[in-house]
Amino acid sequence: MPESLLAPGAVLALWTLIMLGWVAATRFSAMSKAGVDLKAAPPGGRGADLENILPPLINWKSHNYTHLLEQPTLFYAVLIFLHLSGGSTDLTRGLAWAYVVLRIVHSLYQATVNRVPVRFAIFALATFCLVALALLAVIATLG
Amino acid sequence: MDTNAILGPVATLALWSMIMWVWMYATRIPAMSRAKIDAKNLVGTTGRGLDEVLPAEVQWKAHNYNHLMEQPTIFYAVALALAVGGLGGGLNTQIAWAYVALRIVHSLIQVTVNRVLWRFAVFALASLALLALCIHAFMGFVLH
Repeated sequence: MPESLLAPGAVLALWTLIMLGWVAATRFSAMSKAGVDLKAAPPGGRGADLENILPPLINWKSHNYTHLLEQPTLFYAVLIFLHLSGGSTDLTRGLAWAYVVLRIVHSLYQATVNRVPVRFAIFALATFCLVALALLAVIATLG
Repeated sequence: MDTNAILGPVATLALWSMIMWVWMYATRIPAMSRAKIDAKNLVGTTGRGLDEVLPAEVQWKAHNYNHLMEQPTIFYAVALALAVGGLGGGLNTQIAWAYVALRIVHSLIQVTVNRVLWRFAVFALASLALLALCIHAFMGFVLH
């Protein structure tokens, strides 16, 4: 396991852009199938406008990319707090890697099967890891 | 090499986000009063609801402000990680400046002409710059 607490953060950031690549790889062929021409799109159109036009399986990739820009932003902040305040321990590194693995599983599940109870369970497990990291960050920064 | 040099583009994009915030309200508040929306009596609405009420050009400012709260959060995380990990100088700083310059161009396109193809091209270029930073962070912190 890499020594740096920054490593799991770097992996999740890279994973986010891999999901963006997956969005692009599936969205453009779906857009041409749906007869959407990017060059002729009216000014101001956004990805969210494709919600009722493209099949759900295509939009699920994009939903997940968006979700990766939500809760994980807290994760990055907490990692940097821990890194800068001497909070990099076996426990925090283990929790951080667990969070990243769970978020990658969450992405794969949301982009393919996407049954809500299962997705929720994965999300909840990841959130528990983040709660523990946030608590440890408070302890590390105050102490 | 100044390994904190990458904090320059970080601070610039953060400040640009706040400039977009000002631009959003400088156009939104007059547009709301023109649309006879009484903000004093609003309960529980969000800015998104204004998409149906205000002119598109006004909402484009808000759309861009929201976008600045999306992918750039990955940029801040990676740039801070590179800086505290001793990798925030040289080429990484130049890539970070390229990302910030492209995001500013992206903002200016989105709030003015907002042609989807142009916006997408600039977004794609910025994403490639961010990808390069992510790969450098991965090489520096995971493989190293």
